[in-house]
Amino acid sequence: MDFQLTQEQQELRQTVREFAERELLPKAKEVDEKAQIPASTWKKMADTGLMGLPFAEELGGAGADAISAALAVEEIARCCGSTALSYAAHVGLGSAPIAMFGNDQQKQQFLRPAAEGRYLGAFGLTEPHAGSDAGSTRTTAVREGNEWVINGAKMWITNAAEAGHLIVTAITNKDRGKRGISAIIIPQGTPGVHFGSPEHKMGLRGSNTHAITFDNVRVPAENLLGAEGDGFVQFLKVLDGGRISIGAMAIGLGVAAMEAAVSYARERQAFGHAIGSYQSISNMLADMDTELEAARLLILRAAWLKENGKPFTREAAIAKLYASEASERACRNAVQIFGGYGYSSEYPVERYYRDTRLLTIGEGTSEILRMVISRGLLGELA
Amino acid sequence: MHAVVCVKQVPEQNSVKITADKQINSDGINPIINLFDEYAIEEALQWAEKNDGQVTVISLGSDDATDSLKKALAMGANEAVLINDPALEHVDSQSAAKVVAAAIKKLDNVNIVFCGKQSTDDETGQFGPALARFLGWPQLTYVFKVHELSETSIVVDRALEDTLETVEASLPVVVTAVKDLNEPRYPSLLKIRKVSKQPIPTWSLGDLGLGGSDVAGNVQVADRVPPPARPSGEMISGNVQTQVSSLVQKLVENQIL
Repeated sequence: MDFQLTQEQQELRQTVREFAERELLPKAKEVDEKAQIPASTWKKMADTGLMGLPFAEELGGAGADAISAALAVEEIARCCGSTALSYAAHVGLGSAPIAMFGNDQQKQQFLRPAAEGRYLGAFGLTEPHAGSDAGSTRTTAVREGNEWVINGAKMWITNAAEAGHLIVTAITNKDRGKRGISAIIIPQGTPGVHFGSPEHKMGLRGSNTHAITFDNVRVPAENLLGAEGDGFVQFLKVLDGGRISIGAMAIGLGVAAMEAAVSYARERQAFGHAIGSYQSISNMLADMDTELEAARLLILRAAWLKENGKPFTREAAIAKLYASEASERACRNAVQIFGGYGYSSEYPVERYYRDTRLLTIGEGTSEILRMVISRGLLGELA
Repeated sequence: MHAVVCVKQVPEQNSVKITADKQINSDGINPIINLFDEYAIEEALQWAEKNDGQVTVISLGSDDATDSLKKALAMGANEAVLINDPALEHVDSQSAAKVVAAAIKKLDNVNIVFCGKQSTDDETGQFGPALARFLGWPQLTYVFKVHELSETSIVVDRALEDTLETVEASLPVVVTAVKDLNEPRYPSLLKIRKVSKQPIPTWSLGDLGLGGSDVAGNVQVADRVPPPARPSGEMISGNVQTQVSSLVQKLVENQIL
């Protein structure tokens, strides 16, 4: 048992924290209001090596471990939720599948530019009729000569319209059920890919989310990721890693809310005393600290298992479930502590509350995660 | 071109405590690279990149100062040296300059030294000029732009109180940087990983051919007290008209208008 971060992990975390405080925090309100992350932000993140943080140095990455990668997402989310979501989707969903399942050619062609931050990556799994039940995918890819011809639609795809490449899941053999789903890489600008307008969301508004339709989209046969029919198993593995990211993001938003609430509870006076001196308030702060600390331990353990090549599906599900719900409570109570001001956009806590609300939904709803976890306990029931 | 940058590690905020023996206690305050030294590092890196040169960062401090040296390495510096000796614990600016000058002489073929114009903790502003004196080199202080830098000469703009001055000097030279000389880069995360376990060479006074008597110091801090707290603001009450005329009157009284 060793709860100490390594020197390297501490230094990476501190550097990302300083970067996020200087570059992301001052813009976070505007990013939310304008529903846009400035291109200069991505450029600066690329210059530091953040965009390819966990990928191999030979592929343009920084070669960091899974724990550092989770800490980086937490630090980014503490300063800007929207940037954290687009970043986590770029690394964990748009790029990681190529690092995990891609061949050398695909890694050079698609992972390298993404890891170097020359563009964002995106991953299209969810469909209008298939969210949690991703096995019900309807998008199809038919082999014609040396090409895949893709038709169908995707929904709620982070970074879609900006992405340099898009990894999509599609049925390549309808007779094989889940084993007939494959993942295919579609480069930006491929004819027949149509993006809907950016969704108007409750929170994380700076991170653009789109519906996509595929109308006879043709890509080379070699853009198949891994083996035909592996798509379902691949995305389950991808989502396991994605859950660590989303959990880390939840902690970052929760910590931001807690820090704002602590500072307000020290300053705001009521009945002649700082409101933090009343137990109703201080107990809320103590609960935030306790739950966020517990969430961080769960996330770091799941990341440690991932880094060490051990199974982590259950641990990632537990960590993401707990962290996202703890974060929601922390942000909810931060708004409560701020009172009327908390409900106003004058203070950032309403934004944290809106931002964190996604995290019990995206990359596995709390309900699906409870199902995953309880199935581990109960096994298959008759 | 071989550039040396002198880097001091300082507390991030000025909310330090003064101990019973009049020393500064910065426990629990995040240590950072002195603000002005970050500009010095960036300028050295930019010119080294243009001139295919190399950058060595030097810090005089305790083992903790390796954090700042590693950060400078992760920004792109090639080498780092820590000067650490028990006799240097309370060293004054002049003696610090003497020690660092000895270290620069020990390094090979240094053409230029960049420092911040002052440190944000002691704020004496003496280090750069004193260093130039001990090296016997010209000094260019308060530099806010470097126009040209070659193996033999440098052209800079200096920001003085009432004058902006463009100066050319021959190398070797000591340059002190003001804020906004450039936009310091963030350390590369890849390089942070690489330098994380890298040992930083440490030189003692003995390594530099100096002894405790060389750094005895001419300045003794007789006392240190926190500055008096700022007087609290005054709320001007009344209707808008009274408020405005009262505000204007106060601004005139205080010679602000």
